[in-house]
Amino acid sequence: MKQFGKILKFELKYFFRNKIFVGITIFLVLLIAIVMFFPRIMALTGREQSSEGVANLPIMLVKADDPSQADMVQEIFAASFTDYNVQIASEEIDTIKEEISSQKAECAFVMTGPTSYTYYVNNLSLYDANTEIANTVLQQIYQMNAMINSGMTAEQAGEVMKIQITSEVESLGKDQTENFFYTYIMIFALYMVILLYGQMVATNVATEKSSRAMELLITSANPTSMMFGKVIASCIAGLIQIAAVFGSAVVFYQINESFWGDNFIIESIFNIPPEILIYMLIFFVLGFLIYAFMFGAVGSTASRLEDINTSVMPITILFIAGFFIVVTSMSSGDVDGTFIKIFSYVPFFSPMAMFTRIAMSTVPVYEIAISIAILVASTVGIGALSAKIYRVGVLLYGTPPKMSAIIKAIRKA
Amino acid sequence: MLLELKNIEKSFGENKVLSGVSFKAEGGKAFGLLGRNGAGKTTSIRILMNVFPANEGAVLIDGKPINYNKVSFGYLPEERGLYPKKIIIDQLIYFAELKGMKHKDAIKAIDYWLDRLDMTEYRNKRLDTLSKGNQQKIQLITALAHNPDIVILDEPFSGLDPVNAMLLKDVVKEQITQGKIVLFSSHQMSYIEEFCDSIAILNGGKVALCGNLHEIKRDYPRDRLVVRTENPAAISAAFGDNCTAIGNGALLVRLSSPNDKKAVMTQIIQDYDVDEVKVFEPSLNDIFVEYAGDNAKED
Repeated sequence: MKQFGKILKFELKYFFRNKIFVGITIFLVLLIAIVMFFPRIMALTGREQSSEGVANLPIMLVKADDPSQADMVQEIFAASFTDYNVQIASEEIDTIKEEISSQKAECAFVMTGPTSYTYYVNNLSLYDANTEIANTVLQQIYQMNAMINSGMTAEQAGEVMKIQITSEVESLGKDQTENFFYTYIMIFALYMVILLYGQMVATNVATEKSSRAMELLITSANPTSMMFGKVIASCIAGLIQIAAVFGSAVVFYQINESFWGDNFIIESIFNIPPEILIYMLIFFVLGFLIYAFMFGAVGSTASRLEDINTSVMPITILFIAGFFIVVTSMSSGDVDGTFIKIFSYVPFFSPMAMFTRIAMSTVPVYEIAISIAILVASTVGIGALSAKIYRVGVLLYGTPPKMSAIIKAIRKA
Repeated sequence: MLLELKNIEKSFGENKVLSGVSFKAEGGKAFGLLGRNGAGKTTSIRILMNVFPANEGAVLIDGKPINYNKVSFGYLPEERGLYPKKIIIDQLIYFAELKGMKHKDAIKAIDYWLDRLDMTEYRNKRLDTLSKGNQQKIQLITALAHNPDIVILDEPFSGLDPVNAMLLKDVVKEQITQGKIVLFSSHQMSYIEEFCDSIAILNGGKVALCGNLHEIKRDYPRDRLVVRTENPAAISAAFGDNCTAIGNGALLVRLSSPNDKKAVMTQIIQDYDVDEVKVFEPSLNDIFVEYAGDNAKED
């Protein structure tokens, strides 16, 4: 136990002195800072832009054969397309096309009737919603005119058109529109941290072996203490890194809260229910440990650093497969499907699968308890097995042994 | 303190690595563990240090099974290596603490050894900035800083220049004087001869020869004489086929019986102008080749 403490301290020191670890953490915090300060920066630069007036906005041309329609359309379009400088065009269509091609104007609506038009644009963006806005506006104008023609006053017609539907949605379980984003962020963080740190544990063990420091280590410390010391140190380092990134995100958000307005994605991310955070911590720690033990064991069987990448492949594939299944279920919205339900009890997948179900759906407490119990038991089992593999693996040099050879060696050791 | 390995058996799978290995090493004396590559030296050392257990047999201290919590080991492995990218003092403290030292005591002991081995200037440098010989001196500190009861040195002199070899010799002698058990494993026979009172030669996982080096040499039949002279031709002519030149003006004269020793010695001194006449004793090298070579004899 005393040795475990020494090893933990030494390994932790390695993380905090590791320039890459410190560099990545600082980089992520800076990135978060830029993202969280973005609306504030935009607000500052935005004010300058608005003072420059309509003249700098992209030009939208409107052409109608009937001048009265042209005036009305321009007026309503100007109100609807506030991001554009809406101008009436009297030129021929070819000239309009040319102006768009030469980027003098960005787009043009050429009315071909009261309810039909041709929209000209240079490159049609995937997110171009101008035609949808125009359709709604033209439909409203047509409906207005129809009502006025059938004897209603303009005010009455205006009242009818202004009518708004009010509704309320009350989700009795979880609201996926709210929790999708934070679940996704957390699953992704779990994915990144486990792969990154798992690889680090494997490399760390293989480095000790290839530098032959292992020769001295195995005669100085108990292999189980060594394995657990390394894995738990990297788990703590991972948690500290996550805490630094998420903590700084919360702090920066609070500084800039007023600038974010009613952005519901951001609001949902920063209003994670505390019990979800606790589950996140439980599944993170257990998921991290179970994979880090496996990575450590595999690292101990490699004699050279070059062997690591191929040796860890099966674990990485197992993990990525789990990640994809979970993310696919999340995207489809069906987080209680058979697949993910089964996976939420399988130790290698449950940290992601069960957490997703808890965050995005309503899972009975006993199911969570069973899943956690299986995961805890498996983590302890894998930890003990890894320590045994480690004990045997660190003394094996040459080509990485096959799994069957290692199992044989463990039995006979 | 008396260390004893008793009938150690060890197999890895089908591969029998050690069979019936026994030897004794005494405190205040150095013990040489010899053998060719793959003879089972490292496995014996690992069993001794409890890296893995033996299938059979026992490790005893003063006749009782060893208590690894009470007996401390210092080990300089043949495959040298520490953390190349880490600061020297950090890793030395780490290893000393793993051996049970308190932080303060570890620093004190390490600073003593850094000074003793002229390495103080490298205290806060990274290991990989040092030459191979200096790295080896740092590694020696990991074996000695915690003042172990048993010091195991595997090829301690390889890679050291003559000055550093001299420094290490002094350190080893000091350890022996302090009453520790010093276990040597080396292929450089001259060092073993210089330090070790007793040896064990392993061959194919078995002890081929074990005992006090002086006695082993004495046990060889004393039927050969080494004669050093300025005029070898006369002696060669007199002894004919029983005389062979062994270099440096020395001759080896084979006697028909060890009982003739005194008479022949007297005769040579009286009849010829000789610088030295002595009974031939085999060197450790000769003994090693005899017991561990391709045509090794069974003990």
